[in-house]
Amino acid sequence: MNVFIVETDKTGLQKFYKEIIGKFETYAPVEKFGKYDYKKVSKLDECDPDSPIEMTMSVKPLFFPKTAKVMKFREDNTGTTVSETDEDPLTGQRVILGVKHCDARGLQVLDQVYKWDYIDTDYQKRRENTLIISTRCDKAGTQCFCTSLDYDVENSDAHDIRIVNGLDGKIYIQAVTQKGEGFVKENLSQQSAVGSQQSLEEIKKHYQLFEASFRLKMNYSEVNAKLQKLFDSLEFETVSSNCISCNTCAFICPTCHCFKITDEKIKDTGVRYKSYDSCNNGYFTLMAGGHNPRPVKYRRWRQRALHKFVYYKERFGMNLCVGCGHCAISCPVNISIFDVVNQVAKI
Amino acid sequence: MDYSKQIQEIASKLFAENKIDYFVGYKQNSFDDSQVPFLITDPAEIPKLVFTDRSVFNLANYLKPDHTKRKRVGLVVKGCDSRALNLMLTESQVKRENVYIIGICCEGVLNEKGEKAQNCVECVMPDPVVYDEMIGTPTGKREYKVNVDIRELATKALEERADYFESIFENCIRCNACRHSCPLCYCAKCCLDQETSTLYHGANTSSGAMHALMTWSLHLAGRCVDCRNCEKACPSHLPLHLLHKQNESVIYENFQQHLAGMEKDDRGAFYKYSLSDPDDFIL
Repeated sequence: MNVFIVETDKTGLQKFYKEIIGKFETYAPVEKFGKYDYKKVSKLDECDPDSPIEMTMSVKPLFFPKTAKVMKFREDNTGTTVSETDEDPLTGQRVILGVKHCDARGLQVLDQVYKWDYIDTDYQKRRENTLIISTRCDKAGTQCFCTSLDYDVENSDAHDIRIVNGLDGKIYIQAVTQKGEGFVKENLSQQSAVGSQQSLEEIKKHYQLFEASFRLKMNYSEVNAKLQKLFDSLEFETVSSNCISCNTCAFICPTCHCFKITDEKIKDTGVRYKSYDSCNNGYFTLMAGGHNPRPVKYRRWRQRALHKFVYYKERFGMNLCVGCGHCAISCPVNISIFDVVNQVAKI
Repeated sequence: MDYSKQIQEIASKLFAENKIDYFVGYKQNSFDDSQVPFLITDPAEIPKLVFTDRSVFNLANYLKPDHTKRKRVGLVVKGCDSRALNLMLTESQVKRENVYIIGICCEGVLNEKGEKAQNCVECVMPDPVVYDEMIGTPTGKREYKVNVDIRELATKALEERADYFESIFENCIRCNACRHSCPLCYCAKCCLDQETSTLYHGANTSSGAMHALMTWSLHLAGRCVDCRNCEKACPSHLPLHLLHKQNESVIYENFQQHLAGMEKDDRGAFYKYSLSDPDDFIL
């Protein structure tokens, strides 16, 4: 864990942000229809790096876009010819401001699946060429439970740089990775004191207050151990009874990574697209021939809950759910995965 | 408006007389004052049922076979919900003998900010139009007014309007929550889900979103009852009512002041023919 810390104040931070926006391709939460989504910004006034967690979409689409061109094709009487798309997978450097730490952790979790048996080069390029600046939440949202899971939120290295609003009125810019340290040294031109042991103490104090603000707390290891044996639990039917089988939870989840392939064709030329898909959707497991192993919603919810809390952990050693609460906030009928797993595990 | 007691009593009676298999009502969320739809099969759960001005969902959505499996259902409906239910009955999606309808004379529900919701301010029919049992005092039909946002939008230049709608389609993530939350979107296989089709784009592009949302709103033209279930479901907070209210106002003006689901066996504006229909567009 890197301890390179710079102390500054509000205006210093604003200046730092402005310098970044001036120098790099920068993405930050931009408000539209009351929701914040990460968009390219050219001025600091356009965005709000301190956007409230409950109103902010996940940063996932910047790495795994909601839709991406896979290839182009052309059919004629000699057969089908396939060509590369003109899509740029991101070659330059970019910076993302105001990333929530749960979201950044989500990327670490996603990395596991993207470098597994097949390496997704587009995803990897986007990851390598992105620097993540995270703002630590001052207070937990109503549906947050990140501190209850299997990762260390306080010492997370999912982001490169962390901004902490200290209780003493100072703002701490802490470089967490080597990449982050280099970035701060290079780009923070203003005069600022290099932090000491005391600033580490302040960051810790801020964390303690943040940790105390959680409404939801879970005993993760107990939930994980119990769920492993509960595939046949009838409780899945109760917890999913008011689910309307839409795709919202998966599409806005920072770690859901299923996709579908569709073609858009005009006359004899077309493009093949890769877009989000969701296991809560009734067609997800529909096979050619008509068989559907998950035709009813409790089976789909069982898959979702167990994939998040059991299967992924078994395979990659990380819990797939990062506790951001996005799904519960956006769910049309307020189903929370926290309640689902707790109710099924009967804790 | 708190009818929790009455609803609990009716639900207990229905379960005791073995008239229903499911009861669909509302339950209080534990962490704030919002509510969630609540499906029960066990009479022991009845004390959790509530109904207040926070009961925003259109529960007629749960009559789809996915949720209540075509069994006998006790259902709580407000004015707008009952209009949707009326259409579901007319369109043979539910058998009348399979639903026991508890109609609420609605005083309007609150939005997230705690103000009266816009569709409730503009509500034309707060009383249930179809019911087995009615709670509250009916206040009767109200005058139809064109939606305030539609009127405002109509004053803007075409380019400005186009940009505005473009931003809606750009922010759509195509999760289809709008469709799944609509009681009148009951097709077993939706045309927007045809993955091999080249007409309806499956890809998550903004042109695909435009195509999907426009098609969806046109399939609901003359049928939408303005319950705003879709808008409440949208994770991107898109103002989806604009699409429906525009259709509604055009239909109201041109189809003999037709409003969806107000009467029994009314199949909607596009299914009716009358000799007195205006024909001034024919040269």
